[in-house]
Amino acid sequence: MPQRKESPTQRLTRLALLTALALIIFVVELQIPDIVPIPGVKLGLANIITVYAVYHYRAGEAFMILLVRILLASVYSGNISALIFSLSGGVLCLLGMVCIKRIIDEDHIWVSSVAGAMLHNIGQIFAAVAVMGTWTVFGYLPFLLVSGGIAGTFTGLSAQAVIKRMNKKNKPTDSN
Amino acid sequence: MDNKKQKLVIIIIAAVFFISAAVSAYMLLSDKGDTVEIISGGKVLYTIDISREPDREIVVEYKGRKNVIAIKDHEIYMKEAECPDHTCIKTGKLSKSGVPIVCLPNKLIIKYSDNGSEGDVDAAA
Repeated sequence: MPQRKESPTQRLTRLALLTALALIIFVVELQIPDIVPIPGVKLGLANIITVYAVYHYRAGEAFMILLVRILLASVYSGNISALIFSLSGGVLCLLGMVCIKRIIDEDHIWVSSVAGAMLHNIGQIFAAVAVMGTWTVFGYLPFLLVSGGIAGTFTGLSAQAVIKRMNKKNKPTDSN
Repeated sequence: MDNKKQKLVIIIIAAVFFISAAVSAYMLLSDKGDTVEIISGGKVLYTIDISREPDREIVVEYKGRKNVIAIKDHEIYMKEAECPDHTCIKTGKLSKSGVPIVCLPNKLIIKYSDNGSEGDVDAAA
């Protein structure tokens, strides 16, 4: 989506705002108890911000939001050991969504979200295989893909709802 | 926007989803044997026949962090773990569903042995 001309400061502010939003969403999600006690199964609500950023900002900028969010999130959650899994999953997810963006338009953003969530799970599993030094954990993949598919649909639909409202709000005044 | 390509992407994603759902269902339903493996850092430390094993506790250490695995009434579970998330403890008893107990920070896996299930199929046949 080509945006109106923005000053670098405006851009920086928007990116910082999105990162902060992603972190808030992440912290709120931390309070939700695990539904399924399988490592890697979660809603991943912060993905809403990632999909939005992929469609509204340059790939590099979306990547910066993702990176800062993951690094700070692992500090907030106190679970640094999970960092490598979030990183590998997040990067693969972002790469996939940047590619899929060329095919899927913004009206079907939930499809990108699902693909991204599944790619996130695939990245996580490969990180787990590397860390654990065994292919055993690969057996988790089908479970993760199912949960990722459901979670991705949910976050994608949320993103779609948010974008719809923002477009409505931005249209009449066009001030921000 | 190319509609055909969009449809293709949706079909691929749906296919991946349903295939993994089918595989998950298969893994949940398939009956494993009684052989349980405890794997730490990629190496099999213990191979246990859970149906015959007496109640006991096994302590596995990884880089100074301890995991206490308990066997009770022919069921195995993670009793204590020195790790930040304790997901492995929340997993509970190792079920026959093919979902292993995994402690990612301490690189510990408890799972039904793959060979065990094959042996079981042969025995049944």
